[in-house]
Amino acid sequence: MPALKAALVERVTAQDWRAACERHAQAGGRFCGLFASRGSQGLQANCLFARSDQDHVVCAHVSSGAIDTLVDLFAAAGRDEREAHDSYGLRFAGHEPMRPLLDHPVEPEAWTVAVHGHDPYQVAVGPIHAGVIESGHFRFTVVGERILHLDLRMFYKHRGLQTAAEGRPLADGLRYAQRACAACAVTNTVAYAQACESALGLAPDRNLRRARTLLLELERLYNHLNDVSAICAGVGFAPGAMAFAAFKERAQRLNQRLTGHRFLFNTVALAAGTLHIGQGDTRAAREELKTLDEEQRRLWRELQFAGSVQDRLGDVGRLTREDAVRLGAVGPSARAAGVHQDTRSESPRLFYGEFVPATPEYASGDVAARLDIRRVELAHTFAILDELLTISFMPGGVKDLDAPPNGLGVGRVESPRGETVCAVQTDGHTTGRLHLRTGSYANWPAVAHAARENLLPDFPLINKSFELCYACADR
Amino acid sequence: MLLRHLQNVRREIALPASKRAGSLALRHVDAGSCNGCEHELAATANPYYDLQRHGLNIVASPRHADVLLVTGQITIRMVDSLRRAYEAMPEPRLVVALGDCATGCTMLGDPRQLAGPLEEILPVDLRIPGCPPAPQKIAEELLGLMRDMAEHSTTRRAFVEEAITPPTRDVEAIDTKGAKHA
Repeated sequence: MPALKAALVERVTAQDWRAACERHAQAGGRFCGLFASRGSQGLQANCLFARSDQDHVVCAHVSSGAIDTLVDLFAAAGRDEREAHDSYGLRFAGHEPMRPLLDHPVEPEAWTVAVHGHDPYQVAVGPIHAGVIESGHFRFTVVGERILHLDLRMFYKHRGLQTAAEGRPLADGLRYAQRACAACAVTNTVAYAQACESALGLAPDRNLRRARTLLLELERLYNHLNDVSAICAGVGFAPGAMAFAAFKERAQRLNQRLTGHRFLFNTVALAAGTLHIGQGDTRAAREELKTLDEEQRRLWRELQFAGSVQDRLGDVGRLTREDAVRLGAVGPSARAAGVHQDTRSESPRLFYGEFVPATPEYASGDVAARLDIRRVELAHTFAILDELLTISFMPGGVKDLDAPPNGLGVGRVESPRGETVCAVQTDGHTTGRLHLRTGSYANWPAVAHAARENLLPDFPLINKSFELCYACADR
Repeated sequence: MLLRHLQNVRREIALPASKRAGSLALRHVDAGSCNGCEHELAATANPYYDLQRHGLNIVASPRHADVLLVTGQITIRMVDSLRRAYEAMPEPRLVVALGDCATGCTMLGDPRQLAGPLEEILPVDLRIPGCPPAPQKIAEELLGLMRDMAEHSTTRRAFVEEAITPPTRDVEAIDTKGAKHA
């Protein structure tokens, strides 16, 4: 577990940008996102790295409007650079072709990869989908039923939440981070609060760390139960889908009882706690969770022996470990491919103790492994919740760190879909720039990659096995 | 065992039997939501609410739908698709604003990225408030809508029957037209 330190900011010239980022990667830094911002000195490029000691941020002023690309060093930077280009006009020398991400040109040539050969054709799906699903467009290039390539066109739901938060008091930013996504509301607000507190030189006390950890695990619980239901629905196994949808409903009703909201909205505050749960309520919640855990364990055995489910999962939507690392995949999808990374083990601002990342027994990176990792993680979540709920919850607070406010804070939190990174540039007590890079944002390229060489009718299943949000990627 | 479990769940929940007054085909369009309304709308199908037993079904195409359920703030990138979904629907058609964003209660975001309130884009027939509205609330409102439709449809049927029983003169006019074309 790294020590509780604020992020270390390294200011470099635009010429040294690429070399400085390369140095961090060589020193074992993990690329965690890249974003542009506009300060008093003009355009600035920022790159985040997680290292075992602390988080590092490389910042460079870009007076010419162009800077060297990092996309050949970190494939995961592809979408970040495209977003910085479309929203801030920052050009990346060497990133060719620069396909639009936020902009939606009509001509498919502008945003799809050209595929040549014998008989390929395109299938266009969305932005409106057939079920109750968020909006986004998939452009499949297929031969027969076989997917050769998938181009994603997202940001249909781009509401400009990040720019809307700029210039507002820091505490207001919580509303924007929360609104980015309901299913990751706690993660996004905790990441935002951590970033602000880090920038202000503050650290949460024990009560606050416990409360936020409880909220994060309650969020993971209903999301993972939902994902299992979605995978069952993806193979047309209605009894499993309905049973786990009922479990999810129970988890959300528990959220309502404990915090007054089914999605745990408005439970995270800046530099303060809001949670007050007495002994009687924690005991009742523990009992309810115990029953829920026993029941869902019994049904897992049913799922594991249901041939009509299991036969559909193996070797579908496979993401290799190498590809997961290269594309910057995070969360259950990366762990299902054998990547031992879970930000809960690197969270000194939370209450996870000596948490060890889990991987499934067969980290095969396919839908079967992504279903199994949910089983493993649900067991961990139930155990963490059980332990946390042995004591009542008091609203906590913050204490001063021996670090001066440095104007830039980074928060990293493990969402149900993987690591969410929030960077906040403060301008006194207002938000100068808010950047939210959620687990879904990081994982979408992996979905497109995993779909390759699979059958088109299997895509809904592959998509559901990642179960990413569109809202918190588009923001 | 799984089916037995579900049977037990249903018995415990003990939903009252449906007094079916018809059916409604629903089409959902997410025009820029936070995914909360989608979760809650999907939850209305779970065993605790089971909206389908009342004849309320989500259909895949707007061409099969009576009701357009719109969620979210309307983004500039979704507004055209939203209009096209509405135009594809057969008449009579209804628009339901689902959640505080679609009803215009919450405007959070960059105005340059938003197309404006739903009611300035489509005629809204029903507003379901909440952030997000709980499945129970969605179920009650949609069932209320279905009851209203059923009441109206008796009067409407009489009206339509009257309208489609044409006077003899009109029939001749149509015949002449047909003859001309032939």
